Amino acid sequence: MTELRVESLAKRFGGLRVFQDINFTLPEGGLLGVIGPNGAGKTTLINVISGRQMASAGKVVLGGRDITNQPAHAVSRLGLARSFQQTNTFKSVSVGENIARAIRFGGRGAPVGLNRMMDAFGLTPRLAEISDKLPYGLQKMLGLVMAFASTPKIVLLDEPAAGLERTERQSVDTFVDIVRKAGTSVLLVEHDMDLIRRMCPRILVLDAGVLLADGPPAEVLARPDVIAAYLGETEEAH
Amino acid sequence: MRIKLLGWTEIVALLLLSCGFIVPMFTRSVLVYSVLNQAFVGVIAAESVWIMLRMNLLSFATPAFMAIGGYTVAIAGQYDITDAFLMTAAAFLVPALVAVPLGALVLRLRGTYFVLVTFVLSQIMQLLIFETPGLTGGSNGISGVAPVTLFGAEMGTNRLVLEYACGLAMGATLITGVLTRYFRQHFAAIEENEILAESLGLVVWRYKALGFVVAAGVAGLAGYSLVNMLLTAHPSSFDSATAVDFIAYTIIGGRLSILGPVLGTGALVYATNLFGTHGQYAQGLYGVLILVVVLAARGGIVGTIAALWRRVS
Amino acid sequence: MDQFIQAAIIGVSLGAQYALLALGFTLIFGILGVVNFSHGGFYMLGGYVAYSCVAFLGLPYPLAVLVAVVATGALGWVFELFLLERLVDDHLATLMLTLGLYLVVSTGLLTVFGPLSMEFAFPVTGALHMGPIYVPRENLIVLVVCLAAIAALWLVLFRTDLGRGLRALADDRAVAMAQGLRPKLLFPLAFAIATGLAGLTGALVTPILSLSPNVGDPVLATSFLTVILGGLGSLEGAALAAFVVGIVEAFSSVYFGGSIGALVLFVLVLLLLVFRPTGLMGRPVRGA
Ligand SMILES: Nc1ncnc2c1ncn2[C@@H]1O[C@H](COP(=O)(O)OP(=O)(O)O)[C@@H](O)[C@H]1O
Ligand SMILES: [Mg+2]
Repeated sequence: MTELRVESLAKRFGGLRVFQDINFTLPEGGLLGVIGPNGAGKTTLINVISGRQMASAGKVVLGGRDITNQPAHAVSRLGLARSFQQTNTFKSVSVGENIARAIRFGGRGAPVGLNRMMDAFGLTPRLAEISDKLPYGLQKMLGLVMAFASTPKIVLLDEPAAGLERTERQSVDTFVDIVRKAGTSVLLVEHDMDLIRRMCPRILVLDAGVLLADGPPAEVLARPDVIAAYLGETEEAH
Repeated sequence: MRIKLLGWTEIVALLLLSCGFIVPMFTRSVLVYSVLNQAFVGVIAAESVWIMLRMNLLSFATPAFMAIGGYTVAIAGQYDITDAFLMTAAAFLVPALVAVPLGALVLRLRGTYFVLVTFVLSQIMQLLIFETPGLTGGSNGISGVAPVTLFGAEMGTNRLVLEYACGLAMGATLITGVLTRYFRQHFAAIEENEILAESLGLVVWRYKALGFVVAAGVAGLAGYSLVNMLLTAHPSSFDSATAVDFIAYTIIGGRLSILGPVLGTGALVYATNLFGTHGQYAQGLYGVLILVVVLAARGGIVGTIAALWRRVS
Repeated sequence: MDQFIQAAIIGVSLGAQYALLALGFTLIFGILGVVNFSHGGFYMLGGYVAYSCVAFLGLPYPLAVLVAVVATGALGWVFELFLLERLVDDHLATLMLTLGLYLVVSTGLLTVFGPLSMEFAFPVTGALHMGPIYVPRENLIVLVVCLAAIAALWLVLFRTDLGRGLRALADDRAVAMAQGLRPKLLFPLAFAIATGLAGLTGALVTPILSLSPNVGDPVLATSFLTVILGGLGSLEGAALAAFVVGIVEAFSSVYFGGSIGALVLFVLVLLLLVFRPTGLMGRPVRGA
């Protein structure tokens, strides 16, 4: 069983407290949304959980095992993958080579559903293209495919829909569906409220580094303090 | 997926190098032998630079590891150990072993900081040689190193020395080629996007360490070849300034394939010899070519040839 | 005791020279993020320009020094503006460019002036005697000029708008640019100031030490040493470290001889780079 548990997690940069006392559990096969205004600390949270940055306090437990401050490659090898908010691929090589690297570096073989996912995103006919030459949306989807191709048990997504056209956003739904069918749980950091509402049974609200709310979206998004946190922020703000 | 141990570039490189066995059939010119010898030493050293450059790490430490390889052999010679196989192994392994703890230290650094630390390393090695006259002969070096023996037979003639240098260069090319070919994806991923590679599960430090250790061993072979050619281990052979030459060979030759260091070294060593006794002027040529490559022809000689070839065909 | 004071004086005057070199070097790193491998080249060039002005044009030495500063500064400005600027964000490329320039400059000097040392003597000779201690007048003059140059640099950097702009660029380029500072204008200027300082040092020091086309390498090594010791990019650190290096060098050559002092310094620098790349002063520097 592979659940992700975050206990009293905190991150500071020198004097700047990015977040503190973050607690939540993502059960095996689960889907948890995370929302919060810009600068709330969402990306930093993903960085700390995935070993990219050091935690200042607290614990990250993956499947009963304490992985706090393990290096990024070790966390990845234990089955926790992540995507990046900006497009992030090996720019100079082909789409196919990018995916091949993700499979090889993960060391667990290709996951079930990978081909279906590439078909769905329209990447299959473009395997030979240099990834840098793809349109922005496809580069972003390639980043997601690579996170999945390392066959993780959990994947953390950092604003997968940001920068995508409205019509392209459906791909994120497809991605999450396929990933969950493969038994992988998902932490979805997103700004797009429609997406969050239609997909997540449960969401966390992060505001100025504290966990403001935790519950079903209909309930959470109706709370006055959550609305206040978002006041002035439009859904399109990045 | 099938992983190749050698690609065509490595095979072409080996074929080019094998001229060291062919040329002696046609000429006994001391000049030709000397130029080829220098080129073989240079190729090995440049390949050491190239290995690290595959991971976007520019190393000035080549002379330091060359010194370790060269002095290992010279010191062993003082104890009448001259067997070619033993010496080759020692010249590779001793610097490689030294590189293990050093790598653990310096590979935390990236980019500019890695460059600086390797520069400092080669300065330290230079000073260490001067400060340990008991071991290295200090500023006098160790002269009169005994020629190597192959199956007990002394390799004393010019031709044998050349052929041995050629063999070493081909061996180094084989090691470099297999390493970089086998771990091609890993090295390329580190070169281009270390953070992404790590997040996908690549144990980046392991490949950097491997590259650093093998590069040190390969540099050791260059030092060995140099000592074997001069029959002297002298601090001036391992001057930290020579790092610039090997970097020039690699960058000007082109960093995209192993043909880069091979062709770059060949071309520049040849050009240097055109200056005759005024070899020091060749540095100006290196300087101009470095500027040209960095500003206008990123792929160096090999990249430019490849681009021309694509245009023709 | 006399020997001790003598060594201290040599150390301080070495320190002042190193400070001029290191300040330029660290300025370039701090502002442009470029490791300037041509620093020793500008030092040599300064020496040769001053020498030529005195030997061929018959200019008085102080004027020759001034010409050397202007010439090296101008070359630095042109080099930054036309070559370095294009690739200023690619650390490896800029490093290679400065390396290429160094090779071109040193070979150029070799071609024009030949490999031998020049007969380039300091115009003032003699020494000040204070009891058993004596200080060569030339060293004293160099010390005074170096300190004056450091003070001038300080004034420019900390008391003028130009200086504030340069320091803002060094602190955070993105923020500085958002505030309307123009790197395209300031980068070449910073580079010119730094290379001019190297030229000044060369013009002042080569008559005392020596002037030949291979004096650039040790200058580069010393600049590295000093700047890393002081923390890459830190001006205060570089100035302080320069005096540490100068004094250590002077004392170790008086008391131990050989290069043991340099060896100790380089090992210290290696450890600093690895464990504390912010240098002795511990100021944060741009990301490694
Ligand atoms: N490396 C860093 N050093 C200092 N501050 C940082 C760093 N990374 C992020 N921050 C700060 O942490 C806060 C949270 O940033 P981030 O996690 O990117 O927010 P989000 O992803 O929710 O928009 C911001 O105020 C940002 O400026
Ligand atoms: Mg973010």
